[in-house]
Amino acid sequence: MDLLLGFASDMFFYGIVAIFLENTVLSRALGASTTLWMIRKKYNIFLFGLIMTVITTISAIIAYFITPWLENEKNAYYLKPLIYVCVIAVVYVIMILVTNHSNIKHKDTILIFIHRCSFNCAVLGALLLSAQAKLSLGGYIGFGIGTGIGFTFATFLIEVAYERLNSPKIPKAFRGFPITLFYIGILSLAVYGMIGHELPF
Amino acid sequence: MAFERLEGFLTQNTVLERGLVIAPVIVAANTLNNALALGISFTVITLLTLLIASFVPKHLSYTIRVILYVITACIIFIPTAKVMNHLFTESIFKVGIFLPLLVTNSLIVTKSETRFLRKPRLMMLLDVFCHVIGFFMVIVLVGVIREILGNGTLMGNAINMPIHFAVLMLPFGGFITVGFLSALLQRIHLYLQQPVKQKKRHWATEIKEGEK
Repeated sequence: MDLLLGFASDMFFYGIVAIFLENTVLSRALGASTTLWMIRKKYNIFLFGLIMTVITTISAIIAYFITPWLENEKNAYYLKPLIYVCVIAVVYVIMILVTNHSNIKHKDTILIFIHRCSFNCAVLGALLLSAQAKLSLGGYIGFGIGTGIGFTFATFLIEVAYERLNSPKIPKAFRGFPITLFYIGILSLAVYGMIGHELPF
Repeated sequence: MAFERLEGFLTQNTVLERGLVIAPVIVAANTLNNALALGISFTVITLLTLLIASFVPKHLSYTIRVILYVITACIIFIPTAKVMNHLFTESIFKVGIFLPLLVTNSLIVTKSETRFLRKPRLMMLLDVFCHVIGFFMVIVLVGVIREILGNGTLMGNAINMPIHFAVLMLPFGGFITVGFLSALLQRIHLYLQQPVKQKKRHWATEIKEGEK
């Protein structure tokens, strides 16, 4: 019972950490280019977020069982990207095969999302960060789920402001990409403050 | 036409114009040493990976091709990171996960298929070279600006600055710096486009007058 409770609490705690405190887009800018791509193309951010959550979580579970073996290696730092990329590649191929052999709605869009999502910095970053923090299985799963939800949350925050950031009221030189970066920067500063940091003036 | 081949330097800049591979620039490039470590690694990994990728048979499915590109990047990462570890030992520790994350950069994962590998090999290499050098220039510039204004140093040596803004060392500072540089590039674009438009208007009125 204690083991199950510890697992659930780790999962919940690291999930919250990944959504708010270590938000993949706002605190590390991982997947920021994908965020901008999705907003420009007006894709369904929640569907993309769901696919990212699934890929990150399944990859994180596999990575958890491989990481102890990898940590014993002398060149673990150099080998980690290769091993984790192989893990993500397996999940990627399985997801493509499952989607191709099913009759789900919006199949073509889902396939585009799987292609775009699999080798995203946010997915590989979640695995590298989980390994670096030496998390438990609950922590790996929680951080994986939190990364996907955190990415969706950040994308939603940027999407709601994107139309205004492209309005004619913004000076031409700043319209679009530059002003969006300022906006994400201010959001990232808010997240930085939420962690409890004070500005180092 | 010759200018279009070199557009990756500035007019189609990877970071400032396309918004690609911005994570290392925004978060990790807060000193010149970090920027150099990331910039050199990015150049080596991307150039060599895309060169090898150009030999991958086109009849393989897209999924397999992309996996092969990324695995190639991971293999090239190993000697590159070892060399960087000797050259920039402290910086490699500071940039953390951003060095290994270069293996999944957008030029390798997405732009390889949508742009680079559609061209003949030599043209592709020139285009990739322009893109990576464009990235290198931006990351070094951002590193220099943030280290001088944010820390009052350059390559770790103190500079006699009356004031420095430590907030520039945070990701917030990265977003703002890249935002200003991108706005500057956009302004240059607008300036360069202006005379062409005026010329077009001038020609249009001349043609109309001729028709009359």
